[in-house]
Order: sequence, then C-alpha cells, then structure tokens
Amino acid sequence: MLIFTLRRLNLFIFTMLALTLLSFSLSFLFPGDSIINISGAINATPSQLIEIQKAYQTDDNIFWQYIAYLKHIIQGELGISMASQSEISTEILNLLPATIELSLVALFIAMFFGIPLGFIAAIKHNKPADNIILSVSMVGYSIPVFWLGLLAILIFSINLGWLPSAGQISLLFEIKLITGIQFIDILLSDSPYKWQAFSDATLHIILPACVIAVAPATIFIRLARTSMIEVLGTNYIRAASAKGLTFQQIIFRHAIRNSLIKIIRHVGLQFANLVTIAMVTEVIFSWPGIGRWLIESIYQRDYTAIQSGLLVLSCFIFIVHILTDFIYAALNPLARGSKYGS
Amino acid sequence: MARDKIYLEEIFPSPFMQLWQIFRKTPVAMLGFSCFIFLITLAIFGPILAPYSPIEGQLDMLLLPPAWHLDGNVSHLLGTDELGRDMLSRLMYGTSLTFGLSFIVVIISLVIGVLIGSISALTSGLKSSILNHSLDVILSIPSLLLAIIIVAILGPGISNTVWAVVMVLIPQFIHITRYAVKEESRKDYVLASRLDGASPFRVLHYSIFPNIVDRIMSQATLAQSAAILDIATLGFLGLGAQIPLPEWGATLANGLDLFYIAPWTVYLPGLAILFAVVATNLVGEGIRHALKLRKER
Repeated sequence: MLIFTLRRLNLFIFTMLALTLLSFSLSFLFPGDSIINISGAINATPSQLIEIQKAYQTDDNIFWQYIAYLKHIIQGELGISMASQSEISTEILNLLPATIELSLVALFIAMFFGIPLGFIAAIKHNKPADNIILSVSMVGYSIPVFWLGLLAILIFSINLGWLPSAGQISLLFEIKLITGIQFIDILLSDSPYKWQAFSDATLHIILPACVIAVAPATIFIRLARTSMIEVLGTNYIRAASAKGLTFQQIIFRHAIRNSLIKIIRHVGLQFANLVTIAMVTEVIFSWPGIGRWLIESIYQRDYTAIQSGLLVLSCFIFIVHILTDFIYAALNPLARGSKYGS
Repeated sequence: MARDKIYLEEIFPSPFMQLWQIFRKTPVAMLGFSCFIFLITLAIFGPILAPYSPIEGQLDMLLLPPAWHLDGNVSHLLGTDELGRDMLSRLMYGTSLTFGLSFIVVIISLVIGVLIGSISALTSGLKSSILNHSLDVILSIPSLLLAIIIVAILGPGISNTVWAVVMVLIPQFIHITRYAVKEESRKDYVLASRLDGASPFRVLHYSIFPNIVDRIMSQATLAQSAAILDIATLGFLGLGAQIPLPEWGATLANGLDLFYIAPWTVYLPGLAILFAVVATNLVGEGIRHALKLRKER
C-alpha cells in the first residue's frame, strides 16, 4: 500500500506541475500582455504595475517567472477578475461547492439507476430485457445534453409545472453562505422556515441533476453489464452454483460484490465526463456554479478567470480521480500491486 | 465442361474484410451504416439539394410551423424560424457543417494521432515515459473542457472550433494506436517478419497496420460522436459557429428565445444531432460487436 501511495503521490505532483505549467503558459497564449493576463489588473496605475511585475519577477527568465507564479498559487492568490475586479480565489470558493453539490447528486443518481439496470441486463444476457436496456442506454448516451435540458424544462417546468427551472433555491429564502453546499447551509442556518427551504432546494436540484445523470448512467449501465457478465463467467461462480447455492444467493453474495469493485475503478474517469456535462447544464439551469462562471468569463474575455478556473476545475477532477483510485485499492487488494503505466 | 477453378483455393480474407463480413450480417449495424452514408451524402450534396437559402429569410413566412401542423405550409416542410428562414434548408446546410466538419475533424486527428502514436510505440525509455505521463494528464481533462479552453485562446468561430476539436481528439488516437502497436509487436508473426530483416517501418506498414486498423476505426466512431456533440455544444454556447451559420447547435441556440411559441426551431435541430450521433454509435457498436465475434472464432 505504501508503494501504491507513493506512486499515486508521484503522479499527483507531476500532474499538478503539468496543469500549473499549462495555466501559466495560457497567460502568454491569450491575447494581450501576459502580466495583465496573469494578475487581472487591467486598471492598475503604472506604479502598481511595477509592483505586480516585481511580484511575478517578470525581469527574470521564464523559469523564475514560473516559480513566482507557483508561489502565488500556493498562497492561494489567483489574481483578480478582469471583469468584476474581485478576488478570483474567493469567487471560486463561493462557486465551486455548488458545482460539487450538483455533480455529486448527479453521480449518485447515475449510479443508483445505472448499476442495477446494468446488472439486470447482464443477468438477462442476450434476452429481450438486455436488448431493451442496451438500446435505451445507446439513445441516452447520444442525446446532446443541452437539448435534453431544454426538453426537461419544457415538459416538467412549463407544461406540467412540477419543478422549478432555474437557480439553486427560491429567492424568498435567505440562507447564509457557510460551506457553500446548499443543503448543509440550510441545516446549519437558524431560519424558522428551514424545512420549507430544504424542500425547495431539493425541488430545484432534481431537474438539473437528472439531466446531468442521464449520460453517465448509461455508461454505468454498460460498465455494470460488462463486469457482471465477466464475473458470472468465472470459476468461483461456477463452484458456488455447483455447491448448490440458489441463483439469488450467488448474485447477492458473490457476483454483485465482485462486479461492483470493477465499476468503482471507472467512477473517477466518469466523474470528469460528468463535470463537463454539468458545466453546460449549469448554463441552461442558471445554476450558480463554476461551470457557468467559466463560460461567462469566456464571453467577457476575462482571461485571468479562465486561466484560474481551468486550473481549479481540473485539479478538482484530478483529486477525485486519485481518491477513487485509493478507494479502489483499499477495496481490492489485487490492484495494489505495481502495474505498468500506473 | 469448363471449370473456373481447377484447384480448391483457400482464401484468407484480410482482417478488415473478415470484420466487414461479420458486420454485414448485423442488421442494426447495417441500418446505422446506411444512415451514416445518408448523412455523408447529405453533407456533400445538401447545399445543392436544399430548396431555399439557409441565410436569407422570407419576411411573409415568419414562424411557420411544420407541414403536418394545421397552420403549416407544404412549401416549407419543416416550418420556418423567426426570420422566415426555411428550417429544412437550414438543417440540410447544417449537416455539412456539424456532421461533415466532424467527419473531417476525425480524419485529420486520426492521421496525426496514428502517426505520432506509431512512432512513439517504436521508442522506449525516458521519452516514452514522458509521453505516457503527459497523455495521462491530457486524457484526464474532459474533451469538452479542453475544447472550450482552446476556443478561449483562439477566439470564437467555426474554424477555431474545428482546430480545437482536432487537438482534443489527437491524444485519444495516440493512446489507442500506441497501445495497439505495442500489443501487436509482441506477437510471433511480427517477430517472424523482423527476423526476415524487415525495417521497423516495413513491419509497421505491412504487418501491424492491417491488424490494428479495425481498432482504430472503432475509436474513430467514438471520436466522431464526441466531435459532433462537441461542435454542437460549442455552437450552442455561442463559442463555435457564429450567428448566420446554420450549424445545428447554433440553430438550436437561435431558437431558444422563441422556445415556447415555436418549439420546432429547438426540437428539430436537437433531433438532427441525436440522429447523427445514434447513427455513428450504431456503426461503432457494430464494429465492436464484429471485433468480439472475430476474436471468439
């Protein structure tokens, strides 16, 4: 496990360096002056500009400039937004939890529906049920997410009027920002209308989370189906049925546990996919998350915000990636061995 | 009596032909394939076949619903949008933009990716390890996010979108080619041709490529469906094709304001995207299914 941890740590540091290098080079690739791109100070007076230049060591060669940039990042200084002139780090800290909340809920919905359906498809392998589930998953995988979001709004918000179509919570409720994750904040607040607010927030999250969950759910169906088929073909399942276990016992005691492990391995990779879908969905549902903020800063040509937004979002995705790797290794002793390319 | 064949000749079809023979027998895959061919034809000849101009509107024909609707007009089969532009013509022109461009994008990135991938498979040691790690980093960033960033650098526009999606897809092709070439080089027939004194490039060209072309094609269909969705999503977000262009995603975003009055301006382009992606995925599924069957033989 120690060697595994060291390997992961090595990969983590390497990736973080690569990502910071990418976002550092972005400041040169974007149009305009690199020092203004990196700090976001478009209205700086000449004397302030000299100070900023000193802080980022622009007189030194490119290597020391990069080191200076790294120092700023480690201290949590991501510069100020070109559009709003406020600190990007505080903006991101306010917005990122909303995205985390939405994507986690979507991930759970996707796993909750996707994995059992995949298992059913595998158990009924090559029967009508399997074919129906597979064709539905193919369509779900192919639907453009923005279109699905619009249709969902049209049907469930406009025509049926069941669910709200925009925002995180109704504006009537005043919830203080503590953790940024709406549900925890509501529970922490001492408002008399706590439970109304809670149910309102739940209603708001259902539609966007379900829209995001469709594509990952279909991928989970496929993953669950392949891993279950694989597990059902192994010798230990055959041994178990030879011993006289009923089919249900085999499935619930042996097959599900072993095939779940194989799925967990892919959750990290799917999460990256899910966050991208969440970015587009946030735009449609006006969800106050980092994806919408990032796309809006592209409209406004806010290069400092794009640069830091990319850095934070990809760090977040990568951290989740590493975390699922650890969970997988903790659950499955076979994965801890050294493997090529890991 | 004339006999065409004197000797009973055994024919070994190439791996690609074997694949095609299995593929041909799967009806669903063939359905997807014919839809795919239809879309390609439409992408090439759409601008000639389209009845109206996709950009110029007719001001007396605003927001006409599709022909099957009570208020519809059969001269505009799929209705018109808020500027009186014929939806059918816009969708036909859009085929060459969304589907045609995504096809070109996949071919460009396939060629570049396969070249780099096969060269990198021949190298080993530090260079290969650095490449491996960099690929891991790039592949861990979602493709759409990367495309959005590249468009942010280059600026919005359809040509920049194309380059962004090309750059996003290249690493996937490098990865799959590299892996496939490495796996194939360990096999005995490659060793045999190497013992015959074939140079690495000869081995690549005559021994390895015919055997991995199916896997690359399967990846190409995945890339194509991703490319269609990426181009359309960028168009929808206003970062891809700009206003008058009838790209499917942009057309859909254009209809957004009138969504409740004229829902067909939104659901028709969406259906077009769905149709293109499903056709592509069916072909991909067919190839993967055929690959699996061939392996089991």
